[in-house]
Amino acid sequence: MNEPRNDEAWIARAAALLDESAENLDAATLSRLNQARHAAIAQPQSALRPWAFGAGLAGVAVAVLGVAVGLHRFDAPVPASVPLQAGDIDVVTSDDDTLDLYENLDFYAWLETQPGDSNG
Amino acid sequence: MVAENYLMAAFDGGSVELGTSGQTRALEQFLRGVERRALRMAEFATDSREEALDLVQDAMFGFVRHYGRHAGTEWPPLFWRVLDSRLNDWHRRQRVRGRWWFRSSTVDEDGDDPITAAPDPREPGPLARLADGEASAALEAALRRLPLRQRQAFLLRMWEGLDVADTAKAMRCSEGSVKTHLWRALANLRGELEEHR
Repeated sequence: MNEPRNDEAWIARAAALLDESAENLDAATLSRLNQARHAAIAQPQSALRPWAFGAGLAGVAVAVLGVAVGLHRFDAPVPASVPLQAGDIDVVTSDDDTLDLYENLDFYAWLETQPGDSNG
Repeated sequence: MVAENYLMAAFDGGSVELGTSGQTRALEQFLRGVERRALRMAEFATDSREEALDLVQDAMFGFVRHYGRHAGTEWPPLFWRVLDSRLNDWHRRQRVRGRWWFRSSTVDEDGDDPITAAPDPREPGPLARLADGEASAALEAALRRLPLRQRQAFLLRMWEGLDVADTAKAMRCSEGSVKTHLWRALANLRGELEEHR
C-alpha cells in the first residue's frame, strides 16, 4: 500500500515540532530521565540475568552433592575388616567331612524333622 | 533520524561486553539519545507524564537487561520494541480496569475511506498555515486521538526514522501491517489537521 502523496512537507514540519517538544522538556522531567537511565545502566553489574546466577548456584550445589556421594561410596569400610567368628575358623580349618556337613545342611535339617528312629 | 549519532561514536556494530566502561558509555549514549522521544511517545499514549516516565524507565530496564549485550546496531528497533510492548501492556491494563476510554471514537481503525482521505496534490498540506505553537498543539491533539498502532507506526517511521523493516520489528508485526498502519495514520492525521486551517 502506498503512502499518501504530498505528505513530505507537513510530515517534516510535524517531525520538527515533535523534536522541539522533546528538546524543551522541563528540568524536573530531565532529572527523572537521567536517574532512570543511570539506574538502568547500573543494573548489569548487580542484577543482570538473575536466572544465570541461580542456575550457576544450582550447578555448583549439584556438583558438590555428586562429589560427596561419590566419595561416600568409595570410602565405605571394606567388609574384610569384620572380625572372623569362631564358626568361620572351624569351616576354614575343618577337614573334608566337616565341609560335607555344611554342604548338606538342608538334608540334616530335614532329617531332624523326621519321626524319631533310635537306630538311625 | 537522530538515533544514529551514538552508534557512530561509541561502538562499531560488534557485540558489546557488559561491565566494560566502553559498553556502559555506549548504552548511556544510546539511552540519552532516545529517552526524550521515548517519553513523548509514551506521553501521547498515556496522557500522563508520570505514567510515561514510569513506562520509559521500565523500558530502559528491560532493554538493558535483555538486549544490553546485543550489537549496538541492533539497539534502536530493540529499544522501541521494548517500549512498544510496555505501551501495549499499559493499554491492556487500562482496558481490564475499565478505565480505558476509547480515543478513536472520531478515528475508526479500519473504517477510513481511501477516496475521501486521498490528498489533493496541489495542497501544501496541513500545518502549513499554522504558527508553531498552534501547529504543535493541533499535532499533539491529533496524535493523541490516533489508535495506538497507527500512532506508533507514524512516530517510529516518520519521527524516529526507522525503516519499514525495523518498524515492523519494533511493533512485532509484518512490514505490510506497518505500511497499512502508517497509511491510515497519515490519512487520519491529515484529516484531523486540516480542520485547523
